[in-house]
Amino acid sequence: MDKRDTKKTVYTGFGDEWRPSNLTPAEARAATSWVEARIDKRSMLTSKERVEDIRDAMWQLEKDGEIIVHRVDERHEPVIARTLYGWEKKIPTTNLWQHKSCGQCGNIPGYPSSVMWLMNELGVNYLDETDQTSCTAWNYHGSGIGNVVSLAAVFLRNFHQAYMSAKAQGLSIGTYYPLVHCGTSFGNYKEMRIFLMHSAELREQVKKILAKLGRLVDGKLLIPEEIVHYSEWLHVMRERIKERQVVDVSNIRATVHPACHVYKMVPEDVIYDETVLNGDRVAVSTGLMQTLGAEVVDYSTWYDCCGFGFRHIIGEREFTRSFAIDRKIKVAVEEAKADVMVGHDTGCITTLDKNQWIGKAVDKVYALPILADCQFAALALGAHPYKLAQLHWHASPFEELLEKLGIDWQKAKLEFESYLEEVKAGRIETLYDPRRAITSGPGYVKQKALAGGGK
Amino acid sequence: MTVEQARASDPLSEAPAMPREQLEEVFDDIRSHVLYDHELHGCLNCGICTATCPSAHYYDYSPREIVQLLWTENLEGIYDAMQEKIWACAQCYTCAARCPFENSPGGLVMIMREVAIKHGMQSAKDVLRPFSRVLLKVISTGNQLAPNMITREAFPDWGPNISKVDAPLNILRKAIPVPTMHTMDTAWEVNLKTSVELYTIWEETGVLDQLETVDENLFDVVSDVMDEKRDEYQEWLDEQEDEDDA
Repeated sequence: MDKRDTKKTVYTGFGDEWRPSNLTPAEARAATSWVEARIDKRSMLTSKERVEDIRDAMWQLEKDGEIIVHRVDERHEPVIARTLYGWEKKIPTTNLWQHKSCGQCGNIPGYPSSVMWLMNELGVNYLDETDQTSCTAWNYHGSGIGNVVSLAAVFLRNFHQAYMSAKAQGLSIGTYYPLVHCGTSFGNYKEMRIFLMHSAELREQVKKILAKLGRLVDGKLLIPEEIVHYSEWLHVMRERIKERQVVDVSNIRATVHPACHVYKMVPEDVIYDETVLNGDRVAVSTGLMQTLGAEVVDYSTWYDCCGFGFRHIIGEREFTRSFAIDRKIKVAVEEAKADVMVGHDTGCITTLDKNQWIGKAVDKVYALPILADCQFAALALGAHPYKLAQLHWHASPFEELLEKLGIDWQKAKLEFESYLEEVKAGRIETLYDPRRAITSGPGYVKQKALAGGGK
Repeated sequence: MTVEQARASDPLSEAPAMPREQLEEVFDDIRSHVLYDHELHGCLNCGICTATCPSAHYYDYSPREIVQLLWTENLEGIYDAMQEKIWACAQCYTCAARCPFENSPGGLVMIMREVAIKHGMQSAKDVLRPFSRVLLKVISTGNQLAPNMITREAFPDWGPNISKVDAPLNILRKAIPVPTMHTMDTAWEVNLKTSVELYTIWEETGVLDQLETVDENLFDVVSDVMDEKRDEYQEWLDEQEDEDDA
């Protein structure tokens, strides 16, 4: 039988050699099911067994006596969130160990200061200390220097420190649970946890290194039950944040830039919420903005990255700035008529904020305020835009946003400049007692009075 | 263009072809990488990865091509891609999120970058030259970025405002209400003990060997800094012992 589709009843464009399969509906369904079961990622929404929850492997390894799991327990007052496939993820809400971001602390300091200020406002206990390194993944993704063993060892060293840190305050180990500020650290650590759970060889290599550092627990690797990004903490705290809101943001048209390393790496561990854009897109940041009352506006390139590129932002910036302007800033301004773009990761905020000025050179003149979600939330709760949200480090025109929010930025700037005179005289205001920041090593002084202290 | 690049990318070049053994050695290092099987499962050539790739907008780069070269074990093509193309990838992992086979072209690129460094390829040395300040910082301190690295000279295209409030950097840093961030040489104050622990990780995982292969001078500088900090830490440990004895 000639199987040529002479009546052109099916899709064309495959070339003359193409033949219709002429499957019966039942056969077509069976064939489609076969494909879905193997290659269609979206089918995982209805076929959950296809996706491995790495925590299952983790619990098994603990049962086998290979590892110890740092649990999110009642000390952390967890709130349950749902991830892509409806799985539960425990988000700790207090006793948090601030896993800082090098890009944020170095370049956008209002990012971590807003997180900690919000915690103070909400009465959340935390520890910010000096015994932490970068995750080193920015370097790895940019340069190729580093490897899975070094990344995994850095991950578990930092998380071991978080586990042990409470000892310095006379509290039980495990009291503090790591809260990861950087999206790349978050994605990288989640990948490393998967690789570690899958590979006995990797576990063995990392274990030898951590043994040298004295970073094992009962001779075993310590693995976190959950790896938690600060934006997830903000998400589960959004109603409590709203209770303290003092600035009306309902006249703000906001675009959200979801960060690649937050939701494209290990996507099964990312929070989706049916009340946030029907659960079609990652819930963090968007859920917060909606709860605060801003109008979240969709735009056609929401899925695109920012153009950071890891090595490109350093050595090939023409790519970074072109992509940032053409694919994100321009679209948010022209298509979404946005007042602000809100993000939740280090490199994205830097890239989108710093790469607008250069557009003037090629007649691409756009001015869009760029803020992290926590900075926007802090402003909504009345945080000082300079002293606390530290907006002066931003190159984009945040002043226009403040005016729209009814915040007198000129007055605030004068107040901050006046405060700088106080700083010069050594009268510095901080969010917590600085003595808490060193928990061991050079500079550590036992501070019994600090035990259990909130701030 | 280097001899390596000429050999690899120009079919009319009179430079001698890369010996087969060398191509095989490079590919063996790629496919024996601990993550190779995790990142590559098959390929239908659908191209959804390239369709969604930011770098494909601006470079002669296609994640689909990378996956195909590896899947079909095209040794010459793999070597060619390692001369320039793999460095175009922006590491956003959009390709991985989209791939129906759950490949990670971005992850495969990282494996190829590691192998390019291992083999001391000129492409790696050229590409990493602007990255040397960052490498020095992250390996010697454990912080990737420092406030005093953000200058108008280093980032002229970021415009005139590093800060919109005019004051010395050290004062602006002290005006951040987070005590660990009153620093200029590192993003936050990293305890000396912490840096020394990190050095052990670098040594045990071959990271310093990687650095020496691509930039011997930088390796020397980093080694000196590490020695100094280790001495400083040892002195502190000795002082502690003395205090305990007293």
